[in-house]
Amino acid sequence: MRLGWKLRSNLVGWVLGILTVAFLAYQWLPILTLGLLSFAGPTGGTTFPMNGVSFHWYEELWQASVMNDFKPPLLRSSLLAAACALTTIVLSVMAAQAMRGKFRGNSAFFYLMLLGIMAPGILVGFGFAIMMRLLGVELSWNTTTFLVHVSWTLPFGFLTMLAVFNRFDSRIEEAALTLGASRITTFRRITLPLILPGVIGAGLFGFSLSYDEYPRSMFTTGPDQTLPLAVMGQLDRQLTPEIYAIGTTTTVFSLIAVLLCTSALWAMRRSTSYRKT
Amino acid sequence: MDTLAHTATGSPAAMPAMAPPQLDLELRGIRKRYGDFTAVDGVSLKIRKGQFVCLLGPSGCGKTTTLRCVAGLEEPDDGGILIGGREVTKDPPWERDIAMMFQDFALFPHMSVAKNVGFGLEMLKKPKAQIAERVQQVLKSFEIASLADRKPGSLSGGQRQRVALARAMITEPRILLLDEPIGALDYSLRETVMLELKLLQQRTGISFIWVTHDQNEAFSLGDLVVVMNHARIEQQGAPEDILQRPATAFVASFVQGNNVFRGRVVQAADGLLRVETAAGSFLVPGSAQAIGSEVSFSVRAENITDLTGEHHLNQLTARCTTVEYFGSVRRHIFERPDGELLKYDQFGAYAARIAAGQVAVLGWRPQDTVLHTGAAG
Amino acid sequence: MSTIRVRSAASYWLAVPAAIWMLGVVVVPILLLGWVSLWGGRSFSPASPLTFDNYTKFFANKTYLQLVLTTVTHTVGLMAVTGVIGYAIAYFMTMKVRHSAWRLVLFLAFVVPFWTSALIRGIAWVPFLGVNGVINQALMFTGATHSPIEAFLYSRFGISMAQASLYTMMAAGPVIYMLNSIAPQLREAAMTLKAPPLVVFWRIVLPLTLPGVVIGQVLVFLNVMADFATVATVGGNKHAMLPNLVLLFYEGSQHRAASVVAVLLMACMLIGVVAAMKVVDIRRLGAER
Repeated sequence: MRLGWKLRSNLVGWVLGILTVAFLAYQWLPILTLGLLSFAGPTGGTTFPMNGVSFHWYEELWQASVMNDFKPPLLRSSLLAAACALTTIVLSVMAAQAMRGKFRGNSAFFYLMLLGIMAPGILVGFGFAIMMRLLGVELSWNTTTFLVHVSWTLPFGFLTMLAVFNRFDSRIEEAALTLGASRITTFRRITLPLILPGVIGAGLFGFSLSYDEYPRSMFTTGPDQTLPLAVMGQLDRQLTPEIYAIGTTTTVFSLIAVLLCTSALWAMRRSTSYRKT
Repeated sequence: MDTLAHTATGSPAAMPAMAPPQLDLELRGIRKRYGDFTAVDGVSLKIRKGQFVCLLGPSGCGKTTTLRCVAGLEEPDDGGILIGGREVTKDPPWERDIAMMFQDFALFPHMSVAKNVGFGLEMLKKPKAQIAERVQQVLKSFEIASLADRKPGSLSGGQRQRVALARAMITEPRILLLDEPIGALDYSLRETVMLELKLLQQRTGISFIWVTHDQNEAFSLGDLVVVMNHARIEQQGAPEDILQRPATAFVASFVQGNNVFRGRVVQAADGLLRVETAAGSFLVPGSAQAIGSEVSFSVRAENITDLTGEHHLNQLTARCTTVEYFGSVRRHIFERPDGELLKYDQFGAYAARIAAGQVAVLGWRPQDTVLHTGAAG
Repeated sequence: MSTIRVRSAASYWLAVPAAIWMLGVVVVPILLLGWVSLWGGRSFSPASPLTFDNYTKFFANKTYLQLVLTTVTHTVGLMAVTGVIGYAIAYFMTMKVRHSAWRLVLFLAFVVPFWTSALIRGIAWVPFLGVNGVINQALMFTGATHSPIEAFLYSRFGISMAQASLYTMMAAGPVIYMLNSIAPQLREAAMTLKAPPLVVFWRIVLPLTLPGVVIGQVLVFLNVMADFATVATVGGNKHAMLPNLVLLFYEGSQHRAASVVAVLLMACMLIGVVAAMKVVDIRRLGAER
């Protein structure tokens, strides 16, 4: 009896599946190794063997000297990311709402935002630094870096909000408007609560993208460094498991933030859809 | 559509009476399960050459899965499929002598109408010039030659239906499988398309297997109607058979215009059974059923008469709740003593004799009732 | 009707802040680079005379020309690798994984790393690729090689390995989206029209997913062309691509030379994007289905 064709098709599936799992391992193994090596013993090097298991490199990190103290950069990056998230939320909701109004030149505006995603960070950062230099503006993490970071996070928030409004049923707004609510009241009381999951998503994008951003910070930050700059500086000076410890810490931070936000989104979506039915 | 006529190797009637009827399709107890759900449970079916077969049933009854097994898109877990006498159960779709029309037509959106229609011939590795010529012919006969260079996205529903049909017919398959082929069309188009398809089928002599949940389609098109429910065949036969002699309570209630009763046999004599139901006690022709057995029977709405001032062996008193008027038929809906609805059809444009709210005595002759002899549904 | 009136003044003003921000921080600085790249003379000031000297100097240097070529070939190679692997993964996830729960798990496993720092993920490859790195240890343990292979860390190969892990899902994502939008009936219709699976893939699936492939390739192209961080961490100081040259000139205070490289880089990327747009009209995505 011949092999059923569905079975042969499954065989192809298995081959592709093995490739997929192999690639997944390829993608994750370095991250997991990094995490593992960060717990190396005090005499451990930057690769195996680990020479014991300890929190030595995390302690080093905590009691660091001025030179490689990661705590101030961490604080700066967190503050910067939070500011970017808030700005992204406000501007992207405004911009997406504006797109619904189909103002003259809205497609040019759309491409302008796309350009923010497509333009390489190193060029934006470099060009902006030159511009600041010609204008005689001091570079600083909380002014110039902030401006550049938002130009990176804003388009992502904008696209997120566009997608949200695409699926938004404006008849709900029409219902409120016919019930006598003004446009502003309707937006505040009806629209905003319904798009809130998307708004949080846009903020999450803003936070995460700014927090991890390196090329745009490189030229625009001035003397007080952000976290990715500090990590890169440390890598240039010397490679120790300490850098694995800081990498693991920030990765865990990122993952916790994503986890919290997605579960919040999940809960919110469930509650709104429950109300709908 | 004349170009397709030459494929006809003779209508079923023209075949010599002595030879055993050639089967285009035979299903031998096919079974298909998805996890705990049984989609097709032992379906057997024989389709003669050039038959127009309609698989009729409610959604989820297994009719589409049966069709997909014939196409080879699903592999049955059990049973056999023979196309033109050849076992094809394990054959992939592209090695079967079939074509299929899908509910939403499944036209390839990136290809022109001409490319869509020619796809089947291209797969058969026919020479390019021959394909082009044949496509032109077929497009002309389906009256869509002007659409040749258009993409499917710009076509209307009726145009898409023609393209899909042309694409399926161009390879002259032994069997054409149609999965709710006019379900996606506007109501106003359906009747015309149905007639065209029936004529096309008769002219080409290709067997059609038409899946539908719409009994009007099934009864007006099919030479053979196969009623399915819960993964099994309930009854198969000519449309009149199924309309006049439903074999099960399911078929009787699924087909329009039947009044179904369930009850227990209490007496049997002279080929008649007395059946005790919640709506009363009635005489039904039959003799094989033992006293005390549970049976169901039905009587068609048009066989019921208004008995004001008369007397019948089977009769009941009921209140009329609504009267619907369809032009040639006046349908009265009564509430039966058992709480079910009773339908009574009066033909012709006579003035209404019974108005809503009125109580009437209705009756029917025992020979007009049909005792369901198939598996109890 | 909605909370915003079509073509109202309000809709216009709502867009103004974002537009000004993007113009001032992205468009003007990039145009400025083009201007600066033409500055001649000795002093770095807007009063400089305009000249093509900076460009002629750059193109006179064979090493730099070689670097442009290397960057482009490296990027094209990576596009090919991520394109093929990404398509295979996308096909598996959409066509072969039947349970939606498994699909979600796989999707998350691929996407979660995107929320972590690309810089850290680049650095994570360092202990992997070194002479005493994990790969060499594994190779020597299994007996595949007796002496460690030095070709991994601080090499083009190592850079490619790290970048493939970073960017393959960018190639796969848009393909996943396009594959999901193909109705299963299309493939089934092709099969009943006598097309075997390979032909179905070649004639139906691949053409319908082509826009996704192109967008994925554009994403990989843009990211690899501009990725100097992975090149710096995994490639060490031995290797450079065009964007690293920008950094190098900047650190040497050669701002005009850096601008020249920046303009070249931008030009390469624009050519790439325009070429892609020629193949697929991105604005018409999603039409006709």
